[in-house]
Amino acid sequence: MIELTRVSKSYNKGRIRAVDDLAMTVRPGEIFGFLGPNGAGKTTTIKMIVGLLKPDSGSISIEGLDTQKDALKCKFLTTYVPDYPAVYERLTGLEYLNFIGDVYGVPKKERLDRIDKWLELFELSRAVANPIQSYSHGMKQKIVLTAALLPAPRVMVLDEPLVGLDPRAAFHLKELMRQHCDQGKTLFFSTHVMEVAEKLCDRIGIINKGRLIACGTIDELKRLGREVQSLENIFLELTGS
Amino acid sequence: MTAFSSLLRAGLKSNFGLALLVHRLFKEKKDLWLGVLIVLAVIGALPALYYLILFLQNAYFLLKPLGQESALLTLGILAGQLFILLFGLYYVISAFYFSRDLEMLIPLPLKPFQVMTSKFVIILANEYLTVMIIVLPVFITFGVLSGGGLSYWAAAALIYAFLPVIPLAIVSLLVVAMMRIVNIGRKKDVLILAGSLVLIAAGLAAQTAMSRYSGSAGPDAQAMTAFLASPDSLLNRIGAGFPPSIWATKALASGFSRTGLAHLSLFAGTSLLLLVLMVIISEKLFYGGLIGLGEIAAKRRALSQVQMSRKISSGRRPVRAIFVREWRIMNRTPIFLLNGVLVVLLVPLIFILMAKTGGGGNNAFLRAVMTSAKPFHMILATAAFMTICGSLNGTSSSAFSREGGQFWISKVIPVSARDQVKAKFMHSYAIALLGILSASFAAAFFFHARPAVLAPAAALALAVAFILTAAGMIIDIARPLLDWTNPQKAIKQNMNVLLAFLADIGIMTALGLTLNFLFKAGLDGSTILAVLFAVLAALAGAVYRILIVFAEKRYGEIEI
Repeated sequence: MIELTRVSKSYNKGRIRAVDDLAMTVRPGEIFGFLGPNGAGKTTTIKMIVGLLKPDSGSISIEGLDTQKDALKCKFLTTYVPDYPAVYERLTGLEYLNFIGDVYGVPKKERLDRIDKWLELFELSRAVANPIQSYSHGMKQKIVLTAALLPAPRVMVLDEPLVGLDPRAAFHLKELMRQHCDQGKTLFFSTHVMEVAEKLCDRIGIINKGRLIACGTIDELKRLGREVQSLENIFLELTGS
Repeated sequence: MTAFSSLLRAGLKSNFGLALLVHRLFKEKKDLWLGVLIVLAVIGALPALYYLILFLQNAYFLLKPLGQESALLTLGILAGQLFILLFGLYYVISAFYFSRDLEMLIPLPLKPFQVMTSKFVIILANEYLTVMIIVLPVFITFGVLSGGGLSYWAAAALIYAFLPVIPLAIVSLLVVAMMRIVNIGRKKDVLILAGSLVLIAAGLAAQTAMSRYSGSAGPDAQAMTAFLASPDSLLNRIGAGFPPSIWATKALASGFSRTGLAHLSLFAGTSLLLLVLMVIISEKLFYGGLIGLGEIAAKRRALSQVQMSRKISSGRRPVRAIFVREWRIMNRTPIFLLNGVLVVLLVPLIFILMAKTGGGGNNAFLRAVMTSAKPFHMILATAAFMTICGSLNGTSSSAFSREGGQFWISKVIPVSARDQVKAKFMHSYAIALLGILSASFAAAFFFHARPAVLAPAAALALAVAFILTAAGMIIDIARPLLDWTNPQKAIKQNMNVLLAFLADIGIMTALGLTLNFLFKAGLDGSTILAVLFAVLAALAGAVYRILIVFAEKRYGEIEI
């Protein structure tokens, strides 16, 4: 579970309010989609959840633990995939995965089984012994995803995870996201692809200019519109100037 | 504005980050403490500068009656130019071939020589700042003591302007030729590294050969008298390894006389000629060595279950994992490797060559102390030599900056700041240890230091290196440079590395002053050593504690 309580974050000495008094809860077993126009505050929110940014005010908890006070315990429960796969290019794919296994303390048997399974699924088996520097953008994205899956975390936070993936990998990722949540775990992800959000998410939050302007299931969001319409139309209506 | 001047302006702005710094200092009112830190670092280095000027002054008055005082200028110019020749190599390779802005510049309608020349000018601007520390004290001390008039100062400005051009142009020509040859096949990194080492070795060998060729003054008293009686013999001998330093000295010492102007023309003309040659060659070879360099073709093959099992570890071992990561990334990134591991191996080698060929001035003093009959002095000199070899590299002061855009991983993994810093400290200290080991080897085999000297010297150097490593890391974590696009920025153009260098000088000077105080207190050698060890141990413990506490605070504060 992820819980944000009145979280705010601003830049440039308070002149730019990136996230404004944000409050929401992502329940266990739920795929939560986070939508918003460019610069709405999606990545800032995600970075605060995983500890890359510190909120100016408010609090965030993961599985009931405060991300500021129990930072290390929260990190053990969470894995994160950024919007751009900046990874150690001089390591091989396998060295990177082993590094993640070492810092999360994944036992050898589980490590081998999971690496084998995800590499096969993402068609990376033949590249895993090569330096990440030799990977394409999509392959880098896949290795970051594999690393995020390796510790079998309680909570996964993904920032635009489908960007750069080929259709087959995107299909598998969506399946994996569903399986993750079917085990009672939590998944929070941002996307610009409305069809994916509509089909995949149990609940959706829409952020605009740092404020959460809508949150609920697809049906609940549809009720907000003037007539029954697609998520894309709702999004355009809610975020339009 | 022409395309070239726009390119140059953008490059200089991006290189020095002035626009960003001004914005942060005056608009966002951030990093104001940086100014205070720089002032403190400069104040810390002032005593060292004072002693350097004192040394130059003594050397001037020693050489003046012999009519050899110009040799001092040659020494400064040569030191500056050799510094650029040796270390400019990494700089040039990195700026010409590994900066990421090249991906953006190549598709633009610019000629190869325009791109390369703009990069050359940016390196030149950096070198003016780097050699300033070496050359300016010599120029100024000589000018003041010799009562140099306007012509001296005008000539000094001109010589300074041309000083880095010849060595940098030579290095650039060699690098462009080398890269054109090695930019083939899959093992580019290895070839670049091997090529760089061959160039360094060739440079050192050429310098040695030229020094030998110039002959030795020899121990014969008559020959020595004749040598000293001949005007400028000393400067000719010192500068034999790199003749442009002789031309520059003669141009500077003779002012705007006929001899002075002739040498100035020779110096400036050669610089310009090499510059033109570099422009012509770059147009032909630059892109050939560049295209596709960032791409790595790898042979894809799946690992068997057994191979996979062998490469996979078990359980939770964060410190070891981070140490191994640091080691691998450092050793596999050519620019980091050249500036870290290879520097600690090269510096003792350079000292050995200088001592063996007599190519420098200070090394005679160094050798005299190291072979002197007083073991206590030998221990201190050897310890200073080992510390310099082990610690004067940018490993610790770029420990956090080197992570760059990947620092997000360190922020999200479940490893405490304490453990991360511990692993990074172990890595930086291991590099310092390597430097101390190679310096021990040099001291033992080339300066004939005995084990009774080597053992306490190594212990002292290890203690000082511990303090300097922690100090370098404290400086880097205070303001890590994480938004670099070119790995060179993380280690070579990182302000933290310069600040740490100044701090190192400050710490070593403070230790020197402490020693001086203990001497004057009339204590004997072994008591002084015991007191020194106690002081160092206490300092090491305190600095490491500060590092951990500060890093724990900073890891929480750094936002990316």
